[in-house]
Amino acid sequence: MSGRRSRSKQSSVSSITDDQITDLVSKLQHLIPELRRRRFDKVSTSKVLQETCNYIRSLHREVEDLSDRLSQLLASTDSDSDQAAIIRSLLMQ
Amino acid sequence: MKRWRTKREHQIYSSKLFQALCRSRRTSSSTSAKELHQTADRVLSITAKGTTRWSRAILAAPLTAGTNMKKHKKAKVTVHTRLRKPVVNREKKKLPVVERKLKALRRLVPGCRKLSCNNLLEETSDYIAALEMQVRAMTAITEFLARGEAQAPTDRLGSIGNM
Repeated sequence: MSGRRSRSKQSSVSSITDDQITDLVSKLQHLIPELRRRRFDKVSTSKVLQETCNYIRSLHREVEDLSDRLSQLLASTDSDSDQAAIIRSLLMQ
Repeated sequence: MKRWRTKREHQIYSSKLFQALCRSRRTSSSTSAKELHQTADRVLSITAKGTTRWSRAILAAPLTAGTNMKKHKKAKVTVHTRLRKPVVNREKKKLPVVERKLKALRRLVPGCRKLSCNNLLEETSDYIAALEMQVRAMTAITEFLARGEAQAPTDRLGSIGNM
């Protein structure tokens, strides 16, 4: 990308410099719980990317499970306007 | 990056989501988990206010009822193209590991299949933060609903007020 000093001149439009990747990947590393505790170790790029994919997949699964539970809960509750108003106010606390 | 991590955003998202779910309950007799998941994603994307590619991609995707949320995978086209390819391709190494991982990542983040590495990683970090907030918010809604369920209807108002 413009503005970056690329030490290696090998990059064409399609390939990506290692520097760019490792730079951004280190930022990604902080976001992933699995890797945050290993902050001071060197984690390889491919490992970070693998863990990122795994983490996103696990988040997707969590949301799917929550959707399941929520849809069941909603089906069984009355959700009359009183209760709904209470829950809304609780969510805003 | 503070985005997706503030209490305010969490409150706004969880309350908007809950409203959307109540509304859809009034219009249809039951909400399938798939529809609920879709609603949760759409409200999440709206909260992003059009600033990220993944959120725009979610909103641009057609609403699907039932089970076909993902695009159908194309059937493998056989033979003819393979005959034209030079033999060299067979001996070529597979994509380097990093490229393969990036490719997998591109498939996981909506709307990012053709994104450059830089942008992809930025979108990914935003997407992860948003998903985490989504999980927190949906967990909160589930807990409140479950708590309401567990108590007798007459006690509900009183004890929820005390929480």
